Amino acid sequence: MNDQITTSRRDFVKGAATGAVGGVLAGMGLYSYSGAAYDRLPKVAREQHDFGAVRSVKVTSISETSWFNNAHLMEDIRGAGGLLVDQYTIGWPPFGNGKGVAKGSYAEGVASIAKMIPSDPVAAWAIQAKQSVHPENPGGYSCLIEVEDLDGSKHKYLLDVGWSYDWMEQSFKREGIDKMLASGEIEALILTHEHFDHFWGFPVAMQFNNKIPTYAHNGFYKEGLQYIKDSGYKGDLKIIDKQMTQIRPGMMAIKFDVPIICRVYGEVSLAFNVKDKGLVLISGCNHQGILQMTSTAYQKLKYDNDRFHGIYGGLHISPFEDWDPKYDDLVISLGKWNFEKVGCNHCTGHLTAKKFVEAGYPVVRGTARFRTSSPDYLGNGDTITF
Amino acid sequence: MEADNRGLSYLESRKLVKRWNGPWPAIVNSLLIFAVFYLTWWIFQDPRGIFRMYTPYLGYMVCRWLLILFIWLAYIFDFWPFKHSWLSRAHPVVKGTVLTAFCVAAMILLTKGFFMGVLGRYGIAYFSPDRLKDMGLTEFYAEEYAAEAIMMFAAIASWLSPSWVVACENAPWQKLAQPTRGITIAVVTFFLGTIVYFVTMHSHMAILFYPWQQYTAITPPYWEGFANTVSGNFHIAWIMSCTVIVWVYEGIWERYPFNLIQTDWLRRTAAFFGIIAVALCLCFFLYYAQDLAWGESIRGTRREMAPDWRWLHVGESAIFWLVGVLFLNFFCGNYPTQFSRPVNVLLRTLISAAIGMAVYFLYYRYAHLILGTQKGLSHPQQFPMIPMIWLINIFLVNVWFMDGWPGWKAVPKTAAELDATEAEIVGHDVAWTPSLAKGLVVGTTAGVAVYFGILAVLPWVGSLQMVK
Repeated sequence: MNDQITTSRRDFVKGAATGAVGGVLAGMGLYSYSGAAYDRLPKVAREQHDFGAVRSVKVTSISETSWFNNAHLMEDIRGAGGLLVDQYTIGWPPFGNGKGVAKGSYAEGVASIAKMIPSDPVAAWAIQAKQSVHPENPGGYSCLIEVEDLDGSKHKYLLDVGWSYDWMEQSFKREGIDKMLASGEIEALILTHEHFDHFWGFPVAMQFNNKIPTYAHNGFYKEGLQYIKDSGYKGDLKIIDKQMTQIRPGMMAIKFDVPIICRVYGEVSLAFNVKDKGLVLISGCNHQGILQMTSTAYQKLKYDNDRFHGIYGGLHISPFEDWDPKYDDLVISLGKWNFEKVGCNHCTGHLTAKKFVEAGYPVVRGTARFRTSSPDYLGNGDTITF
Repeated sequence: MEADNRGLSYLESRKLVKRWNGPWPAIVNSLLIFAVFYLTWWIFQDPRGIFRMYTPYLGYMVCRWLLILFIWLAYIFDFWPFKHSWLSRAHPVVKGTVLTAFCVAAMILLTKGFFMGVLGRYGIAYFSPDRLKDMGLTEFYAEEYAAEAIMMFAAIASWLSPSWVVACENAPWQKLAQPTRGITIAVVTFFLGTIVYFVTMHSHMAILFYPWQQYTAITPPYWEGFANTVSGNFHIAWIMSCTVIVWVYEGIWERYPFNLIQTDWLRRTAAFFGIIAVALCLCFFLYYAQDLAWGESIRGTRREMAPDWRWLHVGESAIFWLVGVLFLNFFCGNYPTQFSRPVNVLLRTLISAAIGMAVYFLYYRYAHLILGTQKGLSHPQQFPMIPMIWLINIFLVNVWFMDGWPGWKAVPKTAAELDATEAEIVGHDVAWTPSLAKGLVVGTTAGVAVYFGILAVLPWVGSLQMVK
């Protein structure tokens, strides 16, 4: 009798153990990807933070051409070991040390030009041109943002400072940025992220105004923070460490904590509520993704007409003219968000711009001047007003 | 010799015995393995290291194909062309070096020779970096695209090849001698793999190019509506889940429960498709778990909110579990073993899942400080599968090629042990009784309750800040 009970208990436990694994698996397989499962997902309430409004926003593309020869850029990245290699070690100016690809060094690069930055960045670049890889390739990304308040007053901001000292000095002078910086007309500099083509031209801006209030993402690495100091910056560095930072009424900086190629972390983008039009989004590279930014703004911010009016900037889809099917997901889905104006350039990718145009999106075309290669982009010297 | 006469493989014919009592073999082997992992990672993969193959696809292709070659050599070819007598007497370090070098050579021959040199040159252009470069792609992306396509073949093979041995028991060629059996199974699984490749990844590759290559592949792909993406990462999800479940079934589940089926063809068929079914359960759960933890995915976004990334992360999460499964199986004596098989299976599943979650957490918390990678969950060029498969490869070299040296040594199984090994293929330890049926009902109910309990906890898990 006892044996029978023991056997019975053992069998029960065997069945229970088997059933437990089977029950969990059954739940996983039958319920997880079902409509019922998705019906139970909590609906996230929109916060709709009221951050004010502006009358208009005008963007002037100072430079969107971050590099002039994509093949050379990719040759350097390939030679250094791919897209995860630390940007300060690739050997690009201004951190070349004469040792070639993948052997660059922040300390050695800066040491070679320390006496010339920020006073004479062109001379510094000439020195770096002799000891770095493909020194003729860098350009840079930078744009001027003019915000018109509801009372008609205007405020200027510089978004990013490009890469090549030579090119950025030419570009700044072409658009009068040098004088605006020197006079204090530009109220603040916003560094979207630490990438070479957005940030390494910092000494050029410092040449004209080294006390300008400057915003930077708290993901900057120690080399980046040191570069700000080594470039002679003496102003108020504001480290953005919250998701939302209001710059002025109607203008919000949104911080995204995202890992980025070439060992960079995090990006800051801008959102504006344009009176009677809706939300405008402006980005440096948009590494977080356009729709990630859009959905964050949708979730957090209140804006006129509850609609997306426009977007400008590098949209970081196919920056190296590469492709991936997930980029098509974006091209297919962007239409649902009903943007009225799309001004794209820089790391958006020409193929992406072409696909946007083919999909019928309202891409604002440019003039293809000053070495911008396609009118599908809002190019160097072009403007867009929201 | 007796094992040879019975037709048992080298791995089936040996028994690994500890050289020291207690946990020391596991501790020593773990330390050695992690040292070798870090050293080889630095030399071959690390973006700060010497060869820097983590571009990422080049390194991804290499580690996946090495995994396949290890599986082919040990499981499909039973170490042919190496003789069992040599395997039995050679020093483990010599064996490990020779067999690994053999697999590396075969990997280079296959990837560069067959895929890039033959298939890419005379069949499908995207397998050849040279052809892509000639058509205007940068050298970097020409290599990356080709490596991605070649890597995907390996991903499929990493499920099908071992599945044929573990689930189908090499049938119907189990009685053939080597290398005939190995060649046959390799060719058959490669053929099946090719079909799976064409219906899963070919469309993905075809829309890498502009315009979509609609005359040579189905575009947009048929899975778009179901998976909410045109990316082939949807297939990575279930295929990698299959890969993991094959080893779960073989290792910690000891082929339970399908081994209870006494009829050969039914058992083999049930096991083959059962593995797929379990993998699909895992796959759908891991996707839904992310939606619960981080919010519903939004198509067209990037990173962790994008459906394509979440499908990819299904496969990545499964691989973390595989690390736990293999560690428990290889270095912890498949602990626990003292209970009935179903109870052992349940406990091992829980323990290995806990190990997998711990490795997942440690990876995302600390890997960027050690592996030269970038911190954060969803770097678009970072694949945790690369370091995890690299680690698994070293596990396999240690256990399959080196008999677990230095913590373990191989001794021939006794005749009784060989009998037991043969008998293991068909289980008799669980039989249908009313008590078993009651247990099944109660267990299933409890399992479903546990599943919904996990769902309830996941939103809280998602609120934790894992990456610092």
